[in-house]
Amino acid sequence: MKKRSIVIEPYRHRVALDPNYAEKTWKILEHAIHEIYNHNSSQLSFEELYRNAYNMVLQKFGEKLYSGLVTTMTSHLRQISQSIESAQGEIFLEELNRKWVEHNKALLMIRDILMYMDRTFVPSSRKTPVHELGLNLWRDVVIHSNKTQSRLLDTLIDLVLKERNGEVINRGLMRNLIKMLMDLGLSVYQNDFEKHFIEVSKDFYCCESQKFIESCNCGDYLKKAERRLNEEMERVSHYLDPSSESKIIKVVETEMIENHMHTLVHMENSGLVSMFVDDKYEDLERIYNLFRRVPSGLTIVKDVMTSFIRDTGKQLIMDPERLKDPVDFVQRLLDLKDKYDKAITLAFNNDKTFQNALNSAFEYFINLNARSPEFISLFVDDKLRRGLKGVGEEDVEIVLDKVMMLFRYLQEKDMFEKYYKQHLAKRLLSGKTVSDEAERSLIVKLKTECGYQFTSKLEGMFTDMKTSYDMMQGFLACHGAELGDSPTLSVQVLTTGSWPTQSSPQCNLPSEILGVCEKFRSYYLGAHSGRRLSWQANMGNADLKATFGKGQKHELNVSTYQMCVLMLFNNADRLSCKEIEQATAIPMPDLKRCLQSLALVKGKNVLRKEPMSKDIAEDDAFFFNDKFTSKLFKVKIGTVVAQRESEPENIETRQRVEEDRKPQIEAAIVRVMKSRKILEHNNIIAEVTKQLQARFLPNPVVIKKRIESLIEREFLERDKVDRKMYRYLA
Amino acid sequence: MIFADGITLLCNDIQVDPQDIVMLVLSWHMKAGTMCEFSKKEFTEGLQSLGIDSLDKFREKIPSMRSELKDEQKFREIYNFAFGWAKEKGQKSLALDTAIGMWQLLFAEKQWPLVDHWCQFLQARHNKAISRDTWSQLLEFAKTVSSNLSDYDAEGAWPYLIDEFVDYLKENGVNQHGQINDSSLN
Repeated sequence: MKKRSIVIEPYRHRVALDPNYAEKTWKILEHAIHEIYNHNSSQLSFEELYRNAYNMVLQKFGEKLYSGLVTTMTSHLRQISQSIESAQGEIFLEELNRKWVEHNKALLMIRDILMYMDRTFVPSSRKTPVHELGLNLWRDVVIHSNKTQSRLLDTLIDLVLKERNGEVINRGLMRNLIKMLMDLGLSVYQNDFEKHFIEVSKDFYCCESQKFIESCNCGDYLKKAERRLNEEMERVSHYLDPSSESKIIKVVETEMIENHMHTLVHMENSGLVSMFVDDKYEDLERIYNLFRRVPSGLTIVKDVMTSFIRDTGKQLIMDPERLKDPVDFVQRLLDLKDKYDKAITLAFNNDKTFQNALNSAFEYFINLNARSPEFISLFVDDKLRRGLKGVGEEDVEIVLDKVMMLFRYLQEKDMFEKYYKQHLAKRLLSGKTVSDEAERSLIVKLKTECGYQFTSKLEGMFTDMKTSYDMMQGFLACHGAELGDSPTLSVQVLTTGSWPTQSSPQCNLPSEILGVCEKFRSYYLGAHSGRRLSWQANMGNADLKATFGKGQKHELNVSTYQMCVLMLFNNADRLSCKEIEQATAIPMPDLKRCLQSLALVKGKNVLRKEPMSKDIAEDDAFFFNDKFTSKLFKVKIGTVVAQRESEPENIETRQRVEEDRKPQIEAAIVRVMKSRKILEHNNIIAEVTKQLQARFLPNPVVIKKRIESLIEREFLERDKVDRKMYRYLA
Repeated sequence: MIFADGITLLCNDIQVDPQDIVMLVLSWHMKAGTMCEFSKKEFTEGLQSLGIDSLDKFREKIPSMRSELKDEQKFREIYNFAFGWAKEKGQKSLALDTAIGMWQLLFAEKQWPLVDHWCQFLQARHNKAISRDTWSQLLEFAKTVSSNLSDYDAEGAWPYLIDEFVDYLKENGVNQHGQINDSSLN
């Protein structure tokens, strides 16, 4: 057998590379590109073109292919650019858009055809990939052509301005073109459009805001500003790039709001102040929402509000007319607070900084009037005596909480305590309180706010009332039978120290009641030996049955002093003031007041005075007024109701409070020094002030005097080396 | 005990006026409890500490005792001693008249320009006794605060009487040299 060997033979015919191979192949591709740009791509075979491009690259003609691509595309784009440039008027943008869309389509096709080159030759020779190349060429040849660049920008800007002026524009077109710029690169968008857009907008809004400021009132201006803001946001969402939103918003905020903040806020008759005055909640809400966008916007609003509240409050506080009626005065304060609370809730989003500003404004002006503590107590007194009659429990709580709010603003809480005690005493003793629950509720609130010490004495007063009631029951059970026809006695036993001290010199009680009074006294002392009782004739009241000239009977409700005076007239027709003083031992100033209320008040003049002058002189004569008449059977003449103090009384109360403060200050100094052992003068002042501020604001001079007093009593000494330091002496 | 008469005799012997401030210095050396009296112990121990055992020596010592007032530290001690010495036994404070007398004596030596204003002020506005703290702080005030009050510090923890004095001076327009201006010229 013949041995066969299998041999692979080379080609018999040589595949000679056509020297024009590259050129021929390129021509095919070039032609294809032309056709693509001329919208004749349907005639082309993708597969064939791809293969051609592939082979070119394989045969190492990538460079030729690439540069050919560049040249061809460039020349097409030049043509396109010219046709765009020559577009007239409105067609310009449409033409640009159309050509752009076509270019993109073409580019995709071209890229697909040249995919192999894109993936191999391009990266290895570090050339720009086809798609990107297409975009760059478009940018450089079409967009950045001299005429087109500026024309495009101007046209786009122009359309925006038109739209701002109310015209309708082709938003879709705008969107496409803006997107085109973005596709060409963020820097193209920014440099070719956004930068100028922002600049132009600045000017636009600068002018517009100027125009509006001069012609609109604050509320309308703000509405316009709000509208513009919304408009710009909507514009961005419709056809600009989102990255422009914050920039254009900032422009509007700056030009329309920030640059005119002061003018707007202070605009006469329509600015912030008049919005408050007229309760324009919508406008206030708008100004809040707009101003919070700009730096310091809310600060201005807050400051204007604060100073306006301060001024309003100050006027109220200083108005002598207002101060004549304490209850009305306090009600106005509450109304003022309500007004601003409402504004802050409805319009300012319950903003805490505004709440704080409101509080500090109130704290400022309430304490400008030294009588605020007294007036607030009188307000409470009025409410608890009659104002809250028939009011539901919840509403009572609301009123009391409002009172507590005012109380918190007071710097001199110890003043309030003093008056509150006085007024409470009167209410309790005259039995004139609308609701025990309401009284107790307020005490609890005060205790929560100020601690047990503040209210312990007040609670003592309530306890005394209860104990006295029980005591009376016991007394009547025990001695009721023997009392028979004696005047009916009702006694409240007050523990000294719990009740506001008023030294009451003994006055001569009428004989008619001495018996029963003594019986009570011995009954009480029998149960509580070791205690001392003294009748407080300036605090009691009595009901008298009186028969007048024509037989008309009346029941007179009078104070104890008045009772002592009137009973004298059972045994005398005429008495001089001096004689009455001697008989009753009532101190002259109180007696004069008493006689005034009995003789000089229309409708209550159960006594007659000669001469008929307005003042009481010691020689004046008094007679029982037989001719007295009244429509009512029961006539109230007693004055045990809490009243606004006269000037001298006010001064006296203040002095007493100042005296009370001295030991408190000393106690605070000692507490501070005991724990710190050695401390510098100013630090002592600061610490002591901090300790006492829940009750009152101590005067640094008074603190200094107390320190010196403590030095003298050898509780403290000055340091030998540094005279500003004090040392605690154990 | 040596009382006022005895002291007068003593002053005669040593040729010193009883009102002379050197008597205060002497009392200080003797640690005397009260002015115008020396106990035997105070007298003898005092003289011993001074090294005096004869009248001649006593007389010789006088100038040196006087010069002790020029010493800052000693002056301060003598000044502060004076308070306890000049006040009534058993009292905590120094009567105003006595205090004024002492101040005029002491500050004649020390040269404090405001001393007369101070005394006037006290008589017009205070009229009460002087506490020890006020007494001792006054010296510090005189030493550290210039007489035109330019370096007076309101937060300087001065006794309130001194604060009031400063207000008094300002009200009355005291100028640099411690003289009161005619306010109508301002």
